[in-house]
Amino acid sequence: MKSVCFIFNKPPYGQESGKELLDICLMCSAFEMPITVIFQGDGVLQLIENQQPDILNIKNYSKTFKALKLYGVETVLIDAAGLEKHQLVTENILNIGEIANSKIIQNVIQNTDFSIML
Amino acid sequence: MATFSLLITANPYSNQGQYSALKFTKAVLEAGHIIKRIFFYADGVLVANRLNCPPADELNLTKSWAKLAIEKDIELTVCVTAALKRGIVNQAEAERNALTSESIDPAFELSGLGQLTEAMLASDRLVTFG
Repeated sequence: MKSVCFIFNKPPYGQESGKELLDICLMCSAFEMPITVIFQGDGVLQLIENQQPDILNIKNYSKTFKALKLYGVETVLIDAAGLEKHQLVTENILNIGEIANSKIIQNVIQNTDFSIML
Repeated sequence: MATFSLLITANPYSNQGQYSALKFTKAVLEAGHIIKRIFFYADGVLVANRLNCPPADELNLTKSWAKLAIEKDIELTVCVTAALKRGIVNQAEAERNALTSESIDPAFELSGLGQLTEAMLASDRLVTFG
């Protein structure tokens, strides 16, 4: 089976790309493709806890990230440099993955058949 | 020889992505490769609107895709969820949602995201145009 990695590199809500990418990710999981999810750069903002986009009439898809494991997504990597840039620590973000440096992330992308970023 | 699929999310006319994707598709075919499927997602679905009416001295993207699809027998698949919320509907969806008419160009087909995944599994490369 071909493997795929999803790179979330944009903040949520200003544009819909986070939700759109997540929808592709869930569909690939239904096809049982091996999946890696990466939050990189500004994409780490997707993981901040207690988001309330509903007051802006935007759908809250943050909870779906917590369900990634249920969907069979085993590897979730969070870019250490992205966290540092936004002064986030593990207590501020959803506990869904492991912190990784850019070398590890680069290595994962190189060894995956498809990488998708929106 | 390789098999390609395209994922197009670029808004037509306000963004270069669709023009680039069109040129890329032609180049891939000219080089003797295969295009498995072209999948339109997010704002990219807007190109499937048969009512798009650009000025005569600009490239009509909808017609350009349709012509290419018919000539080279390529599947142009449009994400149904992204399309419906942007007013791109076929006859069946128009009736289901009590709309006055369909708006999709007949060269394009509404379908689900599963078609993108299925195309990836059958392709060597997926190229995104956003």
